[in-house]
Order: sequence, then structure tokens, then C-alpha cells
Amino acid sequence: MSDPIPPPDSAYFFGYIGVASAVVFANLGSSYGATKSGVGICSMGVLKPDLIMKSVIPVVMAGILGIYGMIVGVILQGKVANCSSAQQGYAYLSAGLCCGLSSLAAGLSIGIVGDAGVRANAQQDRIFVGMILILIFAEALALYGLIVSLILSQT
Amino acid sequence: MSQQIWGNPQRWDAAEWQSEATWADRFMYIDPYFWSYFGVALALATSIIGASWGIFVTGVSLLGSTVKAPRIRSKNLISVIFCEAVAIYGVIMAIIMIGKIGPIEDIPTEQNGINVCYTYALYCGYSLFWTGVSVGLSNLICGIAVGVTGSGCAISDAQTPETFVKILVVEIFGSALGLFGVIVGIIQCSGATFPKVCPSA
Repeated sequence: MSDPIPPPDSAYFFGYIGVASAVVFANLGSSYGATKSGVGICSMGVLKPDLIMKSVIPVVMAGILGIYGMIVGVILQGKVANCSSAQQGYAYLSAGLCCGLSSLAAGLSIGIVGDAGVRANAQQDRIFVGMILILIFAEALALYGLIVSLILSQT
Repeated sequence: MSQQIWGNPQRWDAAEWQSEATWADRFMYIDPYFWSYFGVALALATSIIGASWGIFVTGVSLLGSTVKAPRIRSKNLISVIFCEAVAIYGVIMAIIMIGKIGPIEDIPTEQNGINVCYTYALYCGYSLFWTGVSVGLSNLICGIAVGVTGSGCAISDAQTPETFVKILVVEIFGSALGLFGVIVGIIQCSGATFPKVCPSA
């Protein structure tokens, strides 16, 4: 082939929507997780201050979601700039949406479970392991989104 | 060459698109790859939203009930695992659908050949999009159903241990909804592989 045809401009448009949605939705999820659990920690910490540091775990797990969004955003923006067809633009849109919306869902779950978990943990110590297990399952949801995003970004 | 003809077979320029194209034309020339990749994103994202909804509905009740009845903690994690399975259904379908999407190497040059090729690609794109919708929405609903049932299961188990197994049966029925979605989705996208070489007219 003599010259490669440049992709239509809409390829970049959709690709960058993917980048933005990965970062924005993941951060939304991360912030919801951190704030909802944080409020629980603050309420619980009034009566049981020794448990506060153990209870910060849901906040840390929610923070990881923002990192997933950033990873996918950075990877995608490098690829969108060198996009060579409309098909790739749509693939990067899909990758960004997969990572972002999965992290949003995981953040919702981590926040609500973390809030209930830290309050319950203050009343019954045996709950700690159960809370961690449920939080791990919730975090895995974001990981699934990350994996599929990385697969899609390879097109 | 393929980029300029694909979605513009009459080779209209911008002014001709404005004056001659109907809404049907504009809809028809939305790229089939857009439909297919958006279907993938829908399948995955809505399944995971359903799974997370189920996890937090169940998790909150589980954690609350465990305060007074710590023995229920480990048994009732199975409800959370059922919700996680819904997310895995979404991942499986997304990977199957990604495998069906591929570049078309060789687009014919004459008008009839382009139309046949584009029609086949549109069929693949629409099929993958609606597969994503059916799988995603089924898994969304399944996740919520399993979550609400698991929540009731934890609360009743805390009071009366015999009810656990019986409510688990209800959860299994609920979890079958996601499986139905996956089965229908696999059948729905079975013929939707993008062709490497366009079919002849």
C-alpha cells in the first residue's frame, strides 16, 4: 500500500471520550468509597478510637480504584494519539467505559459495605475477617473491568 | 481506500451529505464497529453494576446480622460469591464478543460488493450490540435479585438457622437468571463474526 489512510476524525473523538470516562468514572467510584467508609469510621471512632487504623482498609481499597482509572487513562491516551483506524477509536471508547463504569460500581459497593462493616466491627470483633472478604470481592469487580480494558486496548 | 468508502459508498462529500442524506442513511452509516464495541462495554459494565449492587445489598445485612449472631458469617458469604459469579458471566461474554470483532482485510471495489460487505458487517455489529444489551441487563437484574435474597437469607439465618438452606434454593433460582442471559447471548452472537474477506454478492 502506498500511503496509509488517516482515520476519520471521529476516531479521536470517541477515543478521547474513552480516556475521559475511564478517569472520571473511576474517580467517582473511588471518592464514593472513600467518603462513605470515612463517615462510618468517624462515627465509629468516637467510641472505639483503637479500631480506627484497622478500619481505614476500605478507604485504601477505594483509593486503588482511582489508580486503575489512571492506569487505563494513561495507556489509552498514548494509543489514541496514534490511532490508525476508526475501529481502534471505538475499541478505545469501549475500553475506557469498561474500566470506568466497573470501578464506579466497585466503589459504590466498597463504600456501602465499608461503612456498614466498620460500624459492625466496632461492636463485634469477629466481623473483621468477614468485612475484609466482602471488600475483596467488591474490589475484584474493578479488577475484571481493568482486565477487559487492557484486552480491548490491545486492538 | 477502505476508510473512505466504508460508510460512504455513494462517495458523497459534506454538502451532498447535508442535502441528500435522510435520517435513515445517517443511522445506517453509523459504523458497525461502534455498535459492536459498545455492546462489549454494555455487557461488561452493566453486569458488574448488577454484581456490585448485589454485593452491597447482601453485605450490609450480613455484617449487621453478624453482630448478634457471629456464627452466620462464613456460611452467608456464599451469597456474595453468587453475586461475584454474575460479574464473571459478564467478563466471559465480553471476551467471547471481543473475539468476534476483527478487521476486514479486503473490501471489494465495485458498488454492489461494497453494499454486500457493509450489510454483513452491519448485521455483525447490530448482533453484538443487542447481545451486550441482553446479557448486561439480565446480569444486572440477576445481581439485584441474588443480593436482595442473600440479604434476607443472612437476617433470617441469624434468627433461625434452619432457614439458611431453604433460602439458598431461592438464591440458586435467582442466579439462574444470569445464566439464561449468557446462554441466549452466546446463541445470539454465534453468527456475528466479522468477516476477514467480504462475501461475494
